[in-house]
Amino acid sequence: MPSTKLDYTQILTTNNIMRTAGEETYFLGVTRTVQESKFFPVSAYVMLGYLNAFYRYPALLRKVEKNMPPEEVANRIRNATSKVQSMGINWCMINFYLLGREMLINMGVIGPHDACEDLHYVLNFWRRYQLAWRREDGHVTCKEAGHRSQYLPERRVQVYHADLYACEEGDLLHAAADKFLAALSQYAVLVACESRVCMTNHGPYNLGENRELLVRDFFDLAEGDMPWLDGIATDVPHARLTVTTAVKDTSFYIVDDWGSFESKPDYKTENLCGVGLYTSDELSETQIPVGMGSKEELTDTLERYTQIFKDTTAKLWKRFASYHREQLMDAGALTYFNIIKDFAHVAGCYEADDWNKIDERADRFRPLLNDEYGNQVLGALFVPLSCPSHQVTPYTMMQHSNLPKRTYSPLSAALLKEEDVAPTVGDELHPGVTYLPEKVDRYRTTQGVMGLDELNRRTREFLPVLCSDRLKNLDDTWVKYHYDSKLADELYIAEQQYSRKLKGKGAGLSRDDVEALADKLK
Amino acid sequence: MANLYGDTNKYEDGEGAPILEAYHSATKALMRQKFEESRQPWSSFVFGSSYKAVTTKEIAEIDRQVLESGYRFASSAMISALERPEAYMPIPGSEGNPDEFTFEHSDAVVKPPEGKREQRGQGDNVVEYKGNAIGIAKYFRSIQDVADALADGVPPDTIAIIDDSGGTLTAPILEQFKGVICAGGTVRSHLGILTREYGIPCLMNSKVNGIFNGDRVEIEVSAPAKTTEAYQSGREMSARVWKLIA
Repeated sequence: MPSTKLDYTQILTTNNIMRTAGEETYFLGVTRTVQESKFFPVSAYVMLGYLNAFYRYPALLRKVEKNMPPEEVANRIRNATSKVQSMGINWCMINFYLLGREMLINMGVIGPHDACEDLHYVLNFWRRYQLAWRREDGHVTCKEAGHRSQYLPERRVQVYHADLYACEEGDLLHAAADKFLAALSQYAVLVACESRVCMTNHGPYNLGENRELLVRDFFDLAEGDMPWLDGIATDVPHARLTVTTAVKDTSFYIVDDWGSFESKPDYKTENLCGVGLYTSDELSETQIPVGMGSKEELTDTLERYTQIFKDTTAKLWKRFASYHREQLMDAGALTYFNIIKDFAHVAGCYEADDWNKIDERADRFRPLLNDEYGNQVLGALFVPLSCPSHQVTPYTMMQHSNLPKRTYSPLSAALLKEEDVAPTVGDELHPGVTYLPEKVDRYRTTQGVMGLDELNRRTREFLPVLCSDRLKNLDDTWVKYHYDSKLADELYIAEQQYSRKLKGKGAGLSRDDVEALADKLK
Repeated sequence: MANLYGDTNKYEDGEGAPILEAYHSATKALMRQKFEESRQPWSSFVFGSSYKAVTTKEIAEIDRQVLESGYRFASSAMISALERPEAYMPIPGSEGNPDEFTFEHSDAVVKPPEGKREQRGQGDNVVEYKGNAIGIAKYFRSIQDVADALADGVPPDTIAIIDDSGGTLTAPILEQFKGVICAGGTVRSHLGILTREYGIPCLMNSKVNGIFNGDRVEIEVSAPAKTTEAYQSGREMSARVWKLIA
């Protein structure tokens, strides 16, 4: 009697995702530098996070799906900024799980066919969500799109375009935006324990006249899911921020699945010519402008927030400096592991212990996670691919390297008849461990600060107009052929409700119309 | 002894680095032993009884045996060596008078003095500026170095010399630097990205020799920024570091 219920097609599709994910992981590892830190034991905590993902993601994703299927999650979050639209899903979700699995295979703790149904479930959940989130774009990753990350509908890009405030090097807004982006990026890297998972970039979107729109999203900035921000980020007014930047004479030719970009010529702040600021979350109808009433108000807002982020950076740095190593390990590992936690927020089933604890099954291996082993095993799993599981027949020439290696262990078709395989780690989480203080029940949202029970309840009760049955399936492809209909106007007007330039304008505007209404970018 | 699934591997080519060889051989041996003792099929053991058989205590024993052999780990984070000095190799330069410390990178390009400056190394320029940056060298290598600067302020015109390419160690004081010489990473490392955002001249992946706290230094940030293509092709594209002679 075979151990698994997976069929042949499921095995094949699972292998397809693993293979493409592995090749892109290799590419990113080669072309994007591996990060190091004298402050955080980065590689060691990364591996702990991967192990936690292997043991916990299957059960947590099944819990999300019981409350809301991935396709509906994608619809619900389409009009807001969320970590599940970032590198967190584009790359991290499946690769964290797969790298944890590969580590355990090479430790002899599991075989490549163990947890095969979990493997298929996690990868298939990801694929369903990505297809739904990116929808008519049709790509499941930025890699598939030729390293572009263009997923916003026209109605949202038009609002971003129209509401940009013009700036140029030497003026007050330009200087304020420069300093704000630096302070915010610095803070985001610290909140994320020396990683980039609290920020991402997407785009570019073509504004015409040799200008491109690069959208910069920042997450988990205020008191909320991260325990180390409790009592520290008290002055941070928004948990999520979106900064829209128009950049002239600069072509962003790579925006990758890690949310980083390359441009020709190199990005220089002097080419920043327009800026906007927004916040949003699961409780907002769509993006809410922040300090966007006038150019002067935006300048003042950016300057005030810059100071808040600088002050909070100093406070958070001191807190981290007081942590012992296991606390730094937990903070980093949880930052990685819980990068998909916003699935649970959108579904209204978020529980702090689900996402802020290291499962005891993963925690068993903590004694091995010294700095050297962390660096060596992380490195081996990314680029040299030097572990036994990576080696394949010498006739093989791997994409990018031409070496007889592969990143992830595929499922063999022979699995269909194997009898001694454990198909899942189980649907129940095991008890969790943490050296961090217990999470305080305080979450900052666009609707104020509230406890988790209230947050989950209000999220479940709230249905943004743009997610209503009437509007949720009206994508750009439909608009193309129905832009002159009342329903299309209703859709666009809902998106334009907070726009200083487009409020009430409806669906009929072309990019040139928007350009004519917008401030002139120099 | 019981076999694991991966024990038969047509293309196996060893475990890799010594620490991987030591740990993975040990975890596999432990799994074989516990699996055999369980007298269960693998499918019952792997996500069942193995949790009680392979515990933190058993895993810690592997770590203990490696250390007992005399092996000492290389640290990345300062705290790792500080908390377990018996388990980690000492961090070079972490003890003694900080004003007598200098990086001594063997691949630093050092040339005889020319006029009032002598080249003491090179690095990868993050952003091309109109002119070079000149300032006073100061090493920031530990949390205590940063905490002191946070309390007392960063001296004016400080060119920070850092061996951490991350963006967190110097987070609360980074903006106050006139320039940065970083001994690690690439221009795409967090420190490179953040100095670019702040508009602070910075050389990454720097190799320097004979620069002490208090030396006046000049960094050639008027040189072209190192490109992705240069990294991928291995093309030399360095900017120079000079010590200025009084």
